[in-house]
Amino acid sequence: MAAELTSTKLNAENHLLLDQPLLRLPHELARRNFKSIQRFLEREREYILPALKETTEASLSSNQTTDQTLSALDTMISRMQGLKRKMESLHQEEKKIHAQSKKRIQHLDNLHQIPSLTDVKYDQWSRIRLDRLVVDHMLRSGYTESARQLAQARGIEDLVDLSVFVQCQRIAGSLRQGEAKEALQWCNENKAALKKSRYNLEFELRLQQYIELVRTGDKHKFVEAMAHAKRFLIPYFESHSAEIHRAAGLLAFSSDTKAEPYKSMYSPDRWSYLSDLFVRTHHELLSLPSRPLLHIALSAGLSALKTPSCHSAYTSSSSNSLSTATSVCPICSTELHELARNMPYAHHTKSYVESDPIVLPNGRIYGQQRLLKMGKKAGCVGTGKIKDPTTGELFEEGEMKKVYIM
Amino acid sequence: MDHVQKEHERLFKKVKSAQSIKNVQATIDMLQSARDAIAADPSQESITLAKLQNNVQSSFDTINDNLKDTHSSLNKYSKALDKFFKDRPLPSTEHDAVSSQEQLINRAIAMHLLREGQFSVAATFHHEMAEKKGMDTDMDEVPSDEVQSQFATMYHILRELKEKNNLLPAIQWSRDHKEELEARGSNLEFELCRLQFVWLFYGEQHQRGSTPTGRQAALQYARREFQAFLPRYLREVQQLMGAMAFCPNLQDSPYRAIFNNASAWEDVAHSFTREFCSLLGLSADSPLYIAATAGAIALPTLLKLQTIMKAKRTEWTSENELPVEIPLPPEYLFHSIFVCPVSKEQTTDQNPPMMMPCGHVIAEESLKRLCKGSRFKCPYCPSESHPREARKVFL
Repeated sequence: MAAELTSTKLNAENHLLLDQPLLRLPHELARRNFKSIQRFLEREREYILPALKETTEASLSSNQTTDQTLSALDTMISRMQGLKRKMESLHQEEKKIHAQSKKRIQHLDNLHQIPSLTDVKYDQWSRIRLDRLVVDHMLRSGYTESARQLAQARGIEDLVDLSVFVQCQRIAGSLRQGEAKEALQWCNENKAALKKSRYNLEFELRLQQYIELVRTGDKHKFVEAMAHAKRFLIPYFESHSAEIHRAAGLLAFSSDTKAEPYKSMYSPDRWSYLSDLFVRTHHELLSLPSRPLLHIALSAGLSALKTPSCHSAYTSSSSNSLSTATSVCPICSTELHELARNMPYAHHTKSYVESDPIVLPNGRIYGQQRLLKMGKKAGCVGTGKIKDPTTGELFEEGEMKKVYIM
Repeated sequence: MDHVQKEHERLFKKVKSAQSIKNVQATIDMLQSARDAIAADPSQESITLAKLQNNVQSSFDTINDNLKDTHSSLNKYSKALDKFFKDRPLPSTEHDAVSSQEQLINRAIAMHLLREGQFSVAATFHHEMAEKKGMDTDMDEVPSDEVQSQFATMYHILRELKEKNNLLPAIQWSRDHKEELEARGSNLEFELCRLQFVWLFYGEQHQRGSTPTGRQAALQYARREFQAFLPRYLREVQQLMGAMAFCPNLQDSPYRAIFNNASAWEDVAHSFTREFCSLLGLSADSPLYIAATAGAIALPTLLKLQTIMKAKRTEWTSENELPVEIPLPPEYLFHSIFVCPVSKEQTTDQNPPMMMPCGHVIAEESLKRLCKGSRFKCPYCPSESHPREARKVFL
C-alpha cells in the first residue's frame, strides 16, 4: 500500500524530535544548580552542628569564657550569612533558568494549538525554529557574535543558550591555545557528573600537563612531572594502566623523538584533540546532541525535497526560473544546490503531474490550462500560437498532443 | 506536553517560594538572638546554648526537608521530560552527508540571512567566518557582494513599497528588467502601474507632497504610461478606463474588485519578491527555511524507518533514493514526478521517460525490456509501435 503523496496533518507530539535539547539543557543546568545549593548547605551543616555541640559542651563543663562562646557564635553567624548569600545568588540563577524553561515549554506548547501544516501559525512557528537551529549552529561553530545578533534581532534569546555555548567555546579555545587550567576548573565544577561520562577528559588533561613538564627536558621539571604523575595519574591506574606506562616511558625520549607512540604524545595536535574531547564531554553532560540540529534537519529535509530532476542535465519543465508560472524549487536554488548533490532523493510510488498534461513537439510536457494561460499573459504570442516557457520556442496550438501519465 | 507543563509549574512555584533561604535566615536569627541573650546575661549561657543546639539542629533538618521537596519536584519534572521524549530519541547520526560540508551550510545560512533582510547579522557572520579562516580566505563559498547588494536593493524597494506606498522604485526596477520579465511572461510591470493608477485615483485621501493626485492625476498617469501596455493588456486598460465612468459610485460598480482590493499591496509585494528572486535564479521563499521545515516533517518517518531497519537487521539498499515515501504538504512539491507505471521507478537522466505514439509514457528501461528490439504492444492500450517511434519527454 503506497503511502500518501502529500499530507498536511500535523502531529505535534511527533513533531518535536528536534526540540529535546531545548528543555533538557536548562533542566541539566537547574539540576547542577540545585546540587551546588545542596553542597553548600551540607558543608555548613557539617561545620555548624559539631561546632555548636562543642561550644555547648565546653560551656557546660565551664572550661571556656563567655567571650570565647560569643566569638564562636559570631563565627557561626557569619558563616551562615555567607551561606545565605551564596544560596541567594544561586537562587537567582535558578529562577532565571526556570523562567526560561517556562517560556520554552510555552513555545513547544504553541505547536499543539496549530491544526495543520498549512496554517499560517505553523509557518511562524517553523520560522522561529529555523532561527533557533541557525543560532545553535552558529554557536557550535564559534560564530558567537553572529549568533547573539541574530537571537536579538529575532527576539528569541530565551529560546537559545548563548551563555552555555560561549563558556564552552572559551574553554575549547583555551585548550587549543595550549592552556588546560580553565578546562580543569570546569572538570572540578562538574566532578560528580563527569564520573558517568564516557570520555576520560580529566585524565587526558592531566596527562597533557605531564607531557608539557617532560617536554621542557629540564631535570628539575622531571621531578615535578613525577610528582604530578603520582598525584594525578596514578589514581586512574586501574582503567588507564597502558597510558600511564607510556607516560613513564616518555621520560626517556626527548621531544624531537621520531619513535612512536612518544612522537604523537609530544605532538601539538594533542591540544586540538583535547579541545574536541572537551566539547564532546561538555555536550554529553548537558545532553546536547553531538552534531548541530540544523544538520539533522537539513539532511532529512534535503532528501525529502530532492527529486531526480534537481540535478538533471535537462531543465525541468515543472519548476524553473524561466517562467512565472512555476516557482523555483529550493533544491535547485543556488543556496542548497551543491549541498544536496550527494544526498539521496525522495522516494515516490506515484507520478505527480498536472491533471491535463500535453506534450509539445520538442518533447516538453506541460499542463494544458497552465500553458494556455501563460500564453495569454505573455501577450506577445499571436493567436493560435503557444510558446514553450522553458525554451521560448513557438508552436501552433494544434501541435499540442495529449499525453497519458499513469 | 500538559504533564510536562504541570510538573514544571509545580517545580517553578517551589523554587520561587525560596523556602530554604527563609529558613537559613531564621537560623541566623536564632543564632543572633542566642548570642544577644548570652551577651546580656552570661549566667544563662549553658541553658541558652543547649536550647540553641536543639533549635539549630531542627532548623537544619527543616532546610534539608525543603531541599528534598524541591529535589523531588525536580525529579518529577525529570520523569515527565523522560516520558515525553521517550519515544523520541534524537535521530542517529549515521547517514550524515551534510556535516562534512560545513562551508556550504555556512554559505546557505549567509544567503538566508541576506534574503531575510538581516544585513547586519550577515555582515557579522561574514566577518567572523573570515576571521576564523585567517588570511587565506577563499571568498568563493560566501555570497558575493553582488548578491548582497542585490538583496539590499530588493529590501529598499520593498520598504518603499510597503511602508511609504511608493511604487516608483519598483516600477523603475521592472522597467530596467523589462525584457527578462517579459520572457518569463510576468505581468509585474503592469500590475505595479495599475496599482499606481488606483493609488493616484484615491489620492485625495492620502495627500502627499507636491504630486498632484486624485482622478485627474490618475487619468494623466494613464495617458502617459498605459500607451505602452495597450498591445498586451488592452482589456485590463479598458477596464480601468471604463471604471472612470462609475467614478462617484465605484463601490457598486462591476469594477469594485480592482479598486477595492485590501490585499493588493501585499500581493504586489509578493509577486515583486518572487520575480526579483527568480531573476537571480533563487526561489522566492528561503530554501533553508523550506528544507529545515521539510526536514522536521520528515524526521518522524525516517526515525520510524531506522527503528524498523534495526529490528529487522536490514540495510538500506537503494543508496541514492530514500527507502520510504515522505508525505509533505502539496506546496513542498516543486517538480513534476514521473514514476514508471511498469517498473515503479522514478525516471532519471540515465533512465528517462519515453512516450509511445499512443501517448502513454514509460521509463526507457521498461520500454527496452518490453520490446526486445521489435514491435510491441503498449502495456496500457491496444496500439502497437516500434521502439524507434518512442520519444524522450521532459517533465
